[in-house]
Amino acid sequence: MSTPALKVNDLSVWLESKAGRKQLVDSISFSIKPAEATGLVGESGCGKTMTALAILGLLPAGVKVESTSIEINGKDISSLSVVQRRAVLGRDIAMIFQQPGTALDPVFTLGQQISSVYRRHTGGSKAHIRQTMLDSLEAVGFSQPEEIAAAYPHQLSGGMRQLSMIAMATVCKPAVIIADEPTTALDGSTRALILQQLEQLQTQHGTAILLVSHDLAVVRQSCARVMVMYCGRLLESTDSQSLFSHARHPYSAGLLACIPQIGSDRPPVISAIPGQVPAATNLPPGCHFAPRCTRVEQQCRQSVPDFDSVDGRGVACFRPL
Amino acid sequence: MNTSRQNSPALLEVRNLSLSFNKQEQVAVERVSFSIAAGSTLGLVGASGSGKSSIARAIMRLLKLDSGVILFKGEDVFRMDAQQLKATRQRIQLVFQDPSASLSPRRSIEQTLLEPLRHFAIGDAGSRQEKIRQILHTVGLDHDVLPRYPHQFSSGQQQRIAIARALVTNPDLVIADEAVSSLDVSVQAQILQLIQSLQQDQGIAFLFISHDLAVIRQIADNIAVTYRGQMLEQAPADLFFRKPAHPYSKTMLSFASDGPALNSERGKWQLERGRTNTGKPTVCLFARNCPDKMPVCEQLEPDSHNIQHENQRALGSHCVKCHLYDEVEHNDS
Repeated sequence: MSTPALKVNDLSVWLESKAGRKQLVDSISFSIKPAEATGLVGESGCGKTMTALAILGLLPAGVKVESTSIEINGKDISSLSVVQRRAVLGRDIAMIFQQPGTALDPVFTLGQQISSVYRRHTGGSKAHIRQTMLDSLEAVGFSQPEEIAAAYPHQLSGGMRQLSMIAMATVCKPAVIIADEPTTALDGSTRALILQQLEQLQTQHGTAILLVSHDLAVVRQSCARVMVMYCGRLLESTDSQSLFSHARHPYSAGLLACIPQIGSDRPPVISAIPGQVPAATNLPPGCHFAPRCTRVEQQCRQSVPDFDSVDGRGVACFRPL
Repeated sequence: MNTSRQNSPALLEVRNLSLSFNKQEQVAVERVSFSIAAGSTLGLVGASGSGKSSIARAIMRLLKLDSGVILFKGEDVFRMDAQQLKATRQRIQLVFQDPSASLSPRRSIEQTLLEPLRHFAIGDAGSRQEKIRQILHTVGLDHDVLPRYPHQFSSGQQQRIAIARALVTNPDLVIADEAVSSLDVSVQAQILQLIQSLQQDQGIAFLFISHDLAVIRQIADNIAVTYRGQMLEQAPADLFFRKPAHPYSKTMLSFASDGPALNSERGKWQLERGRTNTGKPTVCLFARNCPDKMPVCEQLEPDSHNIQHENQRALGSHCVKCHLYDEVEHNDS
């Protein structure tokens, strides 16, 4: 078996405060093969973005993180110093953020920003750097890359900014790209365009993608594997086909039932998950989903179910579907 | 000027609405017409920048028009005096996309919900308290939320509060501008269920603005599709989802149901930048991205055509602005 492009072992993230320990991510482990896209889905506040930031070492100050290892192509990056990490970010692993408007620097042109990434990691002549920058813009679908390179972020639409972000993330051809809700603020046609670009990265450059999203429809379209997260824990991890045809965790099944469907007949609104996500300071004991679960029994409220993994399908539930 | 429309059954009628920004340089909305009957829901769909929110704000008279008429219960919104306008705004309420930004962080939920009642001088102190408790019950919240502040709630609860604030004046029309777009699917489903029950139990009409066709499908009676400021297609929902007519509508539906197909004709898509005013458009605005483009599309602006279907009377009219339907009689195939 080949080395996974990204391998995360036992990652935990938490906050200490007067109110007590806030567990944001609770010892999760997973791996992604080269040229594979894996979706990480869950509701807001479930720890998806924290997981992504922890992998990159970009967590805000005060947030505690612990892991056995975080490997990119077999190389552990979890214990790197800030300076060492700087050489890795952008070259081996890059991130596409949710809000391209705030992630881009308003006072530099797109061309300057994309070139600076390439100059820092690879370097070369001015002309070579410029050509690489233009190529990366062209690769994400801009027919006039010079025009985009000369533009400041505010001169572009949200979709164009997001495409430029992808160009910036891919200019050094990293092994792994983490995309955090890359399509959330975008409309259908632009979303399709962005997802096409991510697909192209996998097929053409063998990039492994971790797609963080709350939108199951997006994940279904673009990911071979899916991980479902709830209150900091992984509840289910499987290939997307099995998840969408037969979800085993009641939470995954509930999420799927909530997705509105387009049909020739007006579909009923199904709200399959009653109640709300509990606060991180006040998590229920046992399975965190137990208070909202329709299949709950005594055991679920008392002890935490193990994450059982068989043949690439894993589920953490005492009474899976 | 609107005497002939005085008896019109439409709750809201928008005729030939045009508006622009930056001293008429940036066209936002161009000759858009539609109407909403009392108790019905119009789903307004379009990509970002297609003028959806500008239309919503114009209806509330929060923006100036270049031309066109907006009639609410037969009265021209832009010809109302201050008193009439105030009375109208009580009947039309807005719910915005981001609940955390639309609720004041310094006001308790009680203050937020009482404010519209005070502003419009509805009821006395006792009946106002009763009213807000009843509204909270309608949106599925308990009255113990009253002394709390917005930051103490999840985004789904905040959106329920924003809806409660809109309902507290007993509106006839609620304009929901991307009201569920920023919510998680499970919360979105809860809010859509709430809107559905408001449609059924209280007969409130909605102008439901969204870029998500699947969401629109669940709650709209009629569909209107905007693209770069123009209305490209209007149809009853059942008809629209069975037989979409405009190539843009078909493209959007294929994006929404199958996802992006890399090699398909409809998958090739170019992002358009904002429109600047170059006088009257002389082409179809969608031509550049249209899979069914004909030479005429880049020479002439298409007219709006009515498409005839079987059982037409039962369904309502189906309008499309496209050269494909240029034949005078177009029968349902």
